Amino acid sequence: MRHRTTDFVSTAVALAGVLLYLFPIYWMISSGFKTQAEIFADPPTFFPAAATLESFRYVIHRENIARYLFNSVIIAAPVMILTVTLSAMGAYAMNRLHSRMVDIGLVVVLILQVFPEALLATPVFIIFKSLNLLNTFTAVVLAASARAVAFGMIVLRPMFRQVPIELEEASAVDGCTRMQTFFRIVLPLMRVPLIVVAAITFAQAYGQFVYPLALLNKQEMQPGTVGIFGFIGAEIADWHRVMAFATIFVAPILLLFLLLQRQIVTGLTSGALK
Amino acid sequence: MDRSSILLRAFLLIPVTYVVCLIGMPIAYNLLASVQEVNLGNIGTLNRPFVGLDNFQAALQDPVFRQVVRNSAVFVFVNVLFQVGIGTIVAASFAGDFPGSATLRGLLLAAWILPALVVGTIWKWMFASQNGVVNFLLVKLGIASGPVHWLSDPGLSMSALNIAHVWFGMPFSMILIAAALASVPNELYEAAAIDGAGPLRRFRYITIPAIAPTLLAVACLVTIASLRAFDVVLALTRGGPVNSTNVLPLLSYDTSFQEFDFGRGAAIGTFAFVIVIAVALIYVRSVRTEQVS
Repeated sequence: MRHRTTDFVSTAVALAGVLLYLFPIYWMISSGFKTQAEIFADPPTFFPAAATLESFRYVIHRENIARYLFNSVIIAAPVMILTVTLSAMGAYAMNRLHSRMVDIGLVVVLILQVFPEALLATPVFIIFKSLNLLNTFTAVVLAASARAVAFGMIVLRPMFRQVPIELEEASAVDGCTRMQTFFRIVLPLMRVPLIVVAAITFAQAYGQFVYPLALLNKQEMQPGTVGIFGFIGAEIADWHRVMAFATIFVAPILLLFLLLQRQIVTGLTSGALK
Repeated sequence: MDRSSILLRAFLLIPVTYVVCLIGMPIAYNLLASVQEVNLGNIGTLNRPFVGLDNFQAALQDPVFRQVVRNSAVFVFVNVLFQVGIGTIVAASFAGDFPGSATLRGLLLAAWILPALVVGTIWKWMFASQNGVVNFLLVKLGIASGPVHWLSDPGLSMSALNIAHVWFGMPFSMILIAAALASVPNELYEAAAIDGAGPLRRFRYITIPAIAPTLLAVACLVTIASLRAFDVVLALTRGGPVNSTNVLPLLSYDTSFQEFDFGRGAAIGTFAFVIVIAVALIYVRSVRTEQVS
């Protein structure tokens, strides 16, 4: 009996700790529901006293949040598709190819993915300027997907090791080519890791800020991150509106995370350290 | 060579080439641009005046650059110390296998999955001098007597940035450390317990040595992630006040995109690249050692 009590206490303490840690997320959401008067009230209220959707209405109707979200998705979706496709190919080859190329490829990818975007922004801007690609979503997608592909390969490589080679040999005996085996046997087996990479890549590209800021200067093309940034330009911002905007903006990401939390944790630990 | 291995080679080369073209080439291009004079007028052409090391000299002579290098060093050091330190403590406290421990631990990653720009924005609101919830709590708890100017006092702004960034990155470090903790064989603990070692001694003499390679790898990852920090800084403080939170990526970006001196922006980038590469090599080595052991 005593064991159960300590278990219960541990769980309660841990739950309290996690909720406390995630307080900033709660503060973002609850601030979005407050009126302007309540935002500037002293002392601040922990629950909105008169919860209102006013700020949400404002950012939907006056700030055109739909367009910002649409642009974020326009950037994130192709990045996700490119990343899943290319990194699945690479991760599979890294496990099946017995050649020094694999080692070299892995080290090249590991090293290149560490370079900060804000530093790459300068040469990427100059290159895309000379290719006449500034102010196109293509430029942002290409720039943002590069690191995502590297990350995808690093996460998927240890995962693809788990595909039993016997299955592939059986498929070859049945007359399937390597390409058919890849699509019919390997990819279906790897669907959970592929979904994890797709989810993380989507979240990161959806929150991409440096490249749109550097490569797009038309406001109607800007994604949500740049929209929020424009919103907090002044020293004192309309925090209830900014937080309403941020809440709507991150809602899809948080939902995706809650759905796939367990798989994301497994995927991350396998990739970064193996 | 049979068709199947040609296909495998293509499968490897296509993504690797993709990454090399979109990251490797810009790095090479950056090296070139950092010894050229690049401005808005000649940006479209490769044929630009060669200026030798002038851009580097201009950067090095700038007192702001020296301050920014110091800021970056402090920022990286504090993040490594606290993300790895707090991450180890949190991971160890979740290691008890009580009901829901894995789910609760995983929930912390909600902070890490947020767009960095949003993290900076939320903390800017929480750190606001007037009506900010941080100041309210500090006064309420009797730690501060009046509003603390987190973001407008150059002596405090770096602390505010560090708090926000450690909050953002710690869950990821913690998850990696937790995985390492789970892989320490239980027999080691049992043997030590029989020998009379208490929990603290077991942690010090069994856990820490067993997870040391992971801690090094995580320290490298935190260094790399902190050298990358841009969105959080720009949203929270824009590098200010008076450059007190300005870091290398932000200085490089501003030099290129605010002052339109792309050559000097590239030179600052090259300087940072050297540091990043050095850390990356340690990381790759540490990951490989761990694989062998």
